[in-house]
Amino acid sequence: MRGARRRPGSRAVRLIFYAALVAAWQAAAEADVWPDEVFPSPYEVAEDLAHGAADGSLLHGVGTSMWRLLAGLSMAIAGGTALGIAMARVRVVNQTMGSLVLGLQSIPSVAWVPLGLIWYGPFDAGIIFVTAIGAVFAVAINTYTGVKNIDPHYVEAARNMGARGGQLVTNVLIPAAFPYMMSGFKQGWAFAWRGVIGAEMLFSYLGMGSLLNIGRFTNDVSQVMAVMLVIMIIGMVVDGLVFRRLDDRVMSRWGLR
Amino acid sequence: MAKIEARGIVRHFEHAGYRLRALDGIDLSVGDGDFLCIVGPSGCGKSTFLRIMAGLDAPDAGEVLLDGKPVSGTGPERILVFQEGALFPWLKVSDNVEFGLKMAGIPGRERSQISRRYLDMMQLADFAGSYTYQLSTGMKQRVAIARALAMDPDVLLMDEPFAALDAQTRDLLLVETQLIWQKTKKTILFVTHNVAEAAVLGSRVAVFSNRPSRVRRELAISLPRPRVGADEALARVQREILAELRPEVRRSGGGEGE
Repeated sequence: MRGARRRPGSRAVRLIFYAALVAAWQAAAEADVWPDEVFPSPYEVAEDLAHGAADGSLLHGVGTSMWRLLAGLSMAIAGGTALGIAMARVRVVNQTMGSLVLGLQSIPSVAWVPLGLIWYGPFDAGIIFVTAIGAVFAVAINTYTGVKNIDPHYVEAARNMGARGGQLVTNVLIPAAFPYMMSGFKQGWAFAWRGVIGAEMLFSYLGMGSLLNIGRFTNDVSQVMAVMLVIMIIGMVVDGLVFRRLDDRVMSRWGLR
Repeated sequence: MAKIEARGIVRHFEHAGYRLRALDGIDLSVGDGDFLCIVGPSGCGKSTFLRIMAGLDAPDAGEVLLDGKPVSGTGPERILVFQEGALFPWLKVSDNVEFGLKMAGIPGRERSQISRRYLDMMQLADFAGSYTYQLSTGMKQRVAIARALAMDPDVLLMDEPFAALDAQTRDLLLVETQLIWQKTKKTILFVTHNVAEAAVLGSRVAVFSNRPSRVRRELAISLPRPRVGADEALARVQREILAELRPEVRRSGGGEGE
């Protein structure tokens, strides 16, 4: 994987692919099979992107969505880590919360939107609630699995060297479970990103999801596509830059590669 | 007075619905500065015994005494070196060595002085900043020993620490271990299934019987150190240990005892 990404030819291949994709899109638009209001040309979408960037509306949307995502995801990571460790280490917590967490995890985050609206109103707090709750259970389940899979000798050695209670949690359980927790964060981020966009569409209160909705109401298909493009690019950047790098480092240091 | 003493240690195991008596009243007294090697047939419970001495496992009957006082649970005065080292891969070598000191709240500068001393002793000074995945198996075990020594325990408990090593590395570590023992004057309990290892290392050797285990015999070895390889006196000691061990291995239905 790593080697392939570094090969100089692969970047060129990718560039050619995207150029061809845009060219095909342009050709399809020019063929006038569908009207422009339904199928815009790449030029129109780019124009819309440039327009949104110039008047600051895109940047503001990205900023709003990202801050909600970060707030929600941080809460999910803090809460999910604590819940996962408690489930793994305290039998009664697992017997009670364990099955409930599995059930709650199967609820798509947009299904929490009505509750978020009722409890917190159509503002930031409601959207952050939906984002956090959509991610927290994935983080908890992965943390639980990670702690359950810790080599018992790590814990014994640490206890033998005097680690107790909180020390054991922060110095051994969390770092030892970290490779699993990483997958939890990655899943959590994916759920949170979907959750934030979905919630913003339904709340219609600023952010990328809201911009999508505005595009839809005004029948501005190129704005819809432009916003989708930005959502995709943010996803790719976070996956590729943040998580893949973190993953590489963690996997090699923990001796898993 | 004995440094560490086991009195009437009994331990059962559940196995496929049966209650197996693994340890059948182990009495063992280890003097201050002794190097006691424990050999026994496979499955005789010698590792369990060591875990009980460390406080990581509790006996069904009997007690462990340190300086004449009963102890329960783990304590920094009895540190176990695991067969696979159990080093923390998320920490640098030096941080691994300093782990117990950090848990005890010892300040960073003092910690790094201590870790440097023991890494020097184990000839690992150049690897203080490495992570464990960058080390060979032999180096990992040396880090594990440095980590245990950094705790300055009264008693060092070693559970087949060289079992996973290749022959050359093991020979090297057998010599190093003797030198460290002489230098630090620690009391060491060392579990092994390898008779040659026991003969080279031990000032005394305890041979465990087959399950339900008792101490079949204790031998004192007073050959000069460092003992290496195969001289005639050492070979004689090996034969003597083997003569005790062989009937037990046969009774256990094979396995172990080289």
